[in-house]
Amino acid sequence: MSAVMNHHEARVATEDLIYREARLLDEKKWQDWLALYTEDALFWMPSWAGEYETISDPELELNLIYLKDRSHLEDRVFRLETGESFASVPMARTVHVVGGVTVDAVDNAEIRARASWIVHSYGIHGGITRGGWYEYTLRRGGDTLRIARKKITMIDDKLVGPVDFFHV
Amino acid sequence: MLKKNRIASFVDDRDGQFRVDRSIYLDDELFNAEMEFLFEGGWVYLAHESQIREPGDYFSTRIGRQPVFVVRKRDGGIAGHINACAHRGATLVPFEQGRANAFVCRFHGWSFNHDGRCIKIKGEETGAYPDGDPKERYPLTPIARLESYRGFIFASLKAEVPPLKEWLGPAHTWIDLLADQAPQGLEVVRGASTYTVLGNWKLQAENGADGYHVSTVHGVFAKTVANRQEKNKIDGMGKTEAGRMTGNVNSGSYHFGNGHLGVWAQHTTPQVRPSWRQKDRLDKEFAPERVEWMLNRGRNLFLFPNVFIMDNPSSQIRTLNPIAPGICEVTVRCVAPVGEAPDARAARMRKFEDFYLTSGMATSDDLAALEAVHTGGGARAARWNDFSRGMTAIRHGSEDADGAGIGLVPDLMTSNWDHEALYHGFYRVWKERLLAGAAA
Repeated sequence: MSAVMNHHEARVATEDLIYREARLLDEKKWQDWLALYTEDALFWMPSWAGEYETISDPELELNLIYLKDRSHLEDRVFRLETGESFASVPMARTVHVVGGVTVDAVDNAEIRARASWIVHSYGIHGGITRGGWYEYTLRRGGDTLRIARKKITMIDDKLVGPVDFFHV
Repeated sequence: MLKKNRIASFVDDRDGQFRVDRSIYLDDELFNAEMEFLFEGGWVYLAHESQIREPGDYFSTRIGRQPVFVVRKRDGGIAGHINACAHRGATLVPFEQGRANAFVCRFHGWSFNHDGRCIKIKGEETGAYPDGDPKERYPLTPIARLESYRGFIFASLKAEVPPLKEWLGPAHTWIDLLADQAPQGLEVVRGASTYTVLGNWKLQAENGADGYHVSTVHGVFAKTVANRQEKNKIDGMGKTEAGRMTGNVNSGSYHFGNGHLGVWAQHTTPQVRPSWRQKDRLDKEFAPERVEWMLNRGRNLFLFPNVFIMDNPSSQIRTLNPIAPGICEVTVRCVAPVGEAPDARAARMRKFEDFYLTSGMATSDDLAALEAVHTGGGARAARWNDFSRGMTAIRHGSEDADGAGIGLVPDLMTSNWDHEALYHGFYRVWKERLLAGAAA
C-alpha cells in the first residue's frame, strides 16, 4: 500500500476491508474478525433519543453498545465462546449485506468512510431484518488497513431478540 | 368474561406449596381482564417529571391498551389526558416526547389547551352546531388520577383508588433510598432502548425481582468480567458484579404489599458505585442503617404492575407495556442524580450498557430465559410453575429487623434473594384484584 493513496484506491481498499468484515461475522470467525481492529478501536452504537435523532454524547448519554478498546470486543467474543450465554445458544445465522460505500476523507494516516447495511438473521425468533449505517475510521499502517473506529446507527427499535456485535 | 372460579384456579396457594398455572402467561381472556382490572383499573407508573421539565413539554405512552399523554402546564402543574381527539378520536400527540403550546388535531384541526379544554373547532361558525359554545362540550378526557412521588409520576384511569402514597405503602422506602442520593433531584438520562419480549408481561415482572436465576443465567457475565479482570488487571466494578453473581453475599427478597416486590444483594466493593463519592454527605444527613441500604446494597424495586426502579452500580427505570399475552414492550432508561460528576455519570452509563440492554451481556440472557419459560408454558400437559422456594423462611411485618432500620414494615420477606416467597404476594394481589373485577 503506497503512502499516497488516491480516492479510488482508498475506496477499493475500504470496500475490501468492510466486505471482509461482513463475511467473517457471517462465518462466525471471531478471532479473524477481531484481528481487523486496532487495539484502541472504538465500537459504538448509539441509542435513539427521539424519532429523528440518536444521542450525541456517547460518554454521558445512553448507548446500545459503546466499547472503547478492542479488549471489550474480546469480552463479547469470550462470552459467546463459553457456550453459556442463554441468548446465544442456539446462535442466530446472519447475512450482512453492505453497500453504498463512500469515502469521505483520505490522508496518509486514515480513511474515513461510510456504508449502508442490512443484516438478516435467522434464529429462535424467526427471520429478522434490521438495517442502518456504518461510519468507519480505518487506520493505515505499512501494508495494513485496520478498523480504528466503527459507529453503527441501527434504525430499528422495539428490538426482538438479542442484538450483539454480529447482528448489526 | 372470565369467571371467578377460573381465576381462583390459576393459583395453587396451600401450606407447603405455591404454584401458578402456566396458562396465565398465554390466555387471551385473562390478558384482557388484566388490562381492564390491573393496568386500566388502578395506579400505574407513567413517566418521570424530568421528562417534562418546561411548560408545554409532553410525554405520550399507554395505560394498558389506552393511549395517554401528560403535559407540563404553564403553572408548573402536570395534566394528563387520553391521547385521542375529543372529536373523532385521532391521536393528538405524534411524538413520544415534544413541546406544544396547544394540541392541534391533524385530522380536522381542532385545538386543545394543556388543561384539555377545546379552544378551537375549525369552521365552528359554519358548523350548524346546536345553541351555545360547542367547544365546551368537547374537552379531552382527563386521566382520572395523577400524582407524583419524588419525581415519579403515577396515574390511574379509575378515580376510586387510594392516595398514591398509601398505595405505594412500604415500597416508598426504596424510592426514598434512590431519591435521597440526588439532592438536586433525579433525571432521566438522554437515550432509551425498547425491546419487544416474546413473553408475557408477568414473566418480565418475575425476572426483574428474581435473585435465584442470577448465578445461573448471569454466571457467564461474571465469568466474562472475571476474565477481563484477569487479563487487564482491572479491579473494582468487576469484583462487585462477580461477587454478587456467585451468590455468596447477604441478600433479601420482599413483598412490600399491593403486589410491589423488591430484591437486594450486598455489594462486595460498594466504593465503585457512582454515588459512593456522596458518602460523606449521606453519612451526615442520614442514619447509618439508611446509608448502608443506599450505598452497600443493590436493589431492584418492582411497583405493581408496570415498572422497575433499579439502583445498582447503574440505575434504571424499566417500564412494561403489554401488547398481547405473548408480547410485552419493555423500555429501559437510565435515571441518575442531577448534577452528578461527569466521570461518575460515565461510569453509571457504561455499567448500564454492559448489563441492562438487549445489546448488553446480561439482559439479553434474561430475555432469552423468560422467553423460554413462555414457550415452555405452551406445554399444557405440565400445568404448574413452582414458587415454593423459601416457604419456611418467611417473616412478616415487624419480624423484619433489617427493614426496621429504614422504617420498612413489609407484608412478607425472606433474608435470601434466592427465595421465591415474594411471588406469593405478587400472585395473591394479582388474583384478588382480578377477582374483585370479574363476573361471578
